[in-house]
Amino acid sequence: MIVLTDIYKQYRMGPNTVTALGGVSLEVPTGAFAAIVGPSGSGKSTLMNIIGCLDTPDSGSYRLAGEEAAELSDNRRSEVRNRHIGFVFQAFNLLTRANALENVELPLIYRGVGARRRREVATQMLERVGLADRMHHLPSELSGGQRQRVAIARALVGNPSILLADEPTGALDTATGEEILSLFEKLNAEGMTVLLVTHEPELAARAETVVRLLDGGVSAIENTKERRS
Amino acid sequence: MNAESQLIMLWENGAISIRSILANRGRSFLTALGVIIGVASVITLTALGQGARISVEERLGTLGANLMIVYSGEPRGTSLVRPRTTNIRPTLTADDLAMIESFPEELVVMTAPESSLSGQLKFENRNVTATVIGTHPNYTEIRNFAPIYGSFFGESDLENRRNVVALGAETYRELFPDGRDPLGSTVRINGFPFRVVGIMEEKGSPSQDASAIIPFSTFRRSLSGEDRYAMINIQAGSPEVMYDLQEQIEQALLAARRLPSIELADFYIANQMDLIGTVTEVADTFTLLLGGIAAISLLVGGIGIMNIMLVSVTERTREIGIRMALGAKSSHLMAQFLTEAVILSAAGGGIGIAVGYGLAWGLQRFGGLLTSVTPDSVVIAFSFALVIGLFFGGYPAYRASRLNPIEALRYE
Repeated sequence: MIVLTDIYKQYRMGPNTVTALGGVSLEVPTGAFAAIVGPSGSGKSTLMNIIGCLDTPDSGSYRLAGEEAAELSDNRRSEVRNRHIGFVFQAFNLLTRANALENVELPLIYRGVGARRRREVATQMLERVGLADRMHHLPSELSGGQRQRVAIARALVGNPSILLADEPTGALDTATGEEILSLFEKLNAEGMTVLLVTHEPELAARAETVVRLLDGGVSAIENTKERRS
Repeated sequence: MNAESQLIMLWENGAISIRSILANRGRSFLTALGVIIGVASVITLTALGQGARISVEERLGTLGANLMIVYSGEPRGTSLVRPRTTNIRPTLTADDLAMIESFPEELVVMTAPESSLSGQLKFENRNVTATVIGTHPNYTEIRNFAPIYGSFFGESDLENRRNVVALGAETYRELFPDGRDPLGSTVRINGFPFRVVGIMEEKGSPSQDASAIIPFSTFRRSLSGEDRYAMINIQAGSPEVMYDLQEQIEQALLAARRLPSIELADFYIANQMDLIGTVTEVADTFTLLLGGIAAISLLVGGIGIMNIMLVSVTERTREIGIRMALGAKSSHLMAQFLTEAVILSAAGGGIGIAVGYGLAWGLQRFGGLLTSVTPDSVVIAFSFALVIGLFFGGYPAYRASRLNPIEALRYE
């Protein structure tokens, strides 16, 4: 469960102060599949960074899995990211010198999980995203869709509260993008909370809830379909 | 974090670092090269310094056992060997000699007075300048300086003031360049004829090798006309009595001269132990100096590590961002880059030790220089390399740990 209440965030750009988020309140229930959409400059990235605990808001409350996450120390935010957030990026962001399995193991290293257990869990995750036969390939030996699936396996491996995907299909062709989106739907069906940041209306339409951002504020929240129960 | 997960992190950091070092083999080697050269030069140069010390000690050992020398002239602070005593006015008398000889055998085993001057030696058409030494037959034993061919002169030669000479090795080579047997030949020293009785062994010291040694009685009558001695060589009974004996002789000589203190004396006494002490001190200073210069190169190597690590941190900004997003704390990244710097410097140190040993061995084997690698220098150089890795890796690691994850993730 994610609850944002009255989140403000301003940036200084030279002499000007830019309000990136001006009082955003938002609720994403556990198990939801929500999309955040909006034109560039609408505050999508800032909101996503705050939800992902990469950044802290200037004011407002952000409760993640029952914990206040708005005013955490750097170290605590690292731990929260490690335990509760699974990032999926547009640019995949895999370590180029590490193979698929090692990439997926990464979050578990920072949790202090031993090598054998790491390997076990990472292998399961890669199997779950359909890459059982690509575990020892380097990212450069994988297709775009396969790389994004490695990234998804890496996001899932720590059993996070929420899967946070920032334009996950932006670097993929339509067919592969569809594949990835189906994977998200499948994971959501299995109970994972998925938060998708996108500027593509077709993708957003697949989510249960669409949150529209404009000029640093929520302009609309649409429930496109009934929540599965 | 509990102890187990810390151990896991340590292990992982090691693995990450080694992978990153191996991924840039050429660059890693160049980075470590500074440390390799630094460590190798610390080891090699101190080995050279210690080698010099050992060879000096050995050479001083060949001066003669328990040697003590009374010199004419004003006392000097340190007791380094005077290469020549030819220009010093001799001040030591036959009474002085008799006084020294009167010490019991446990203190003074034997004595040999010695004076010298620069003389012209002539054989056939060859003219050679040499240090002409007048002394007693005991000289060979006290100074550990024996003839290798023929013999030295004896007591009867001394008593009868015979014109006999033992040639230093260098003098022999110059007078007899054809290498012929010189025994029985007559050479002229400042015009006086002398019969050659022997050739002295090579000592490696110019004052002894370019010499012509004759009985003191002959020296006084024919060459110097001076009764007094320039030096008195003494063989002390043992190293233990050396300083005590020196003190006693000093007091006796002062008393004979009615002088209140050694500062006013016309003589001074040096003993072999002082000599060895002084020279080893010099050699140790030399070693320290060489080691210090080498340590500076190690410092420069450390700056090289910092340079490359800074480049590496910049290059891997994206990687750092990814790791941060996945839950790496500042301390994790700090540890990761510090580990890398320390592994680089430790590897450099290890290779440097091998190279240092190799160079020291090579210099001895092919360069004819005595070297001695001391375990101390190896330990110090290696620890210094590690400290340098930690120190110069610290700043880049700190930079890595302070990156903003959002900007790092966006870094192209």
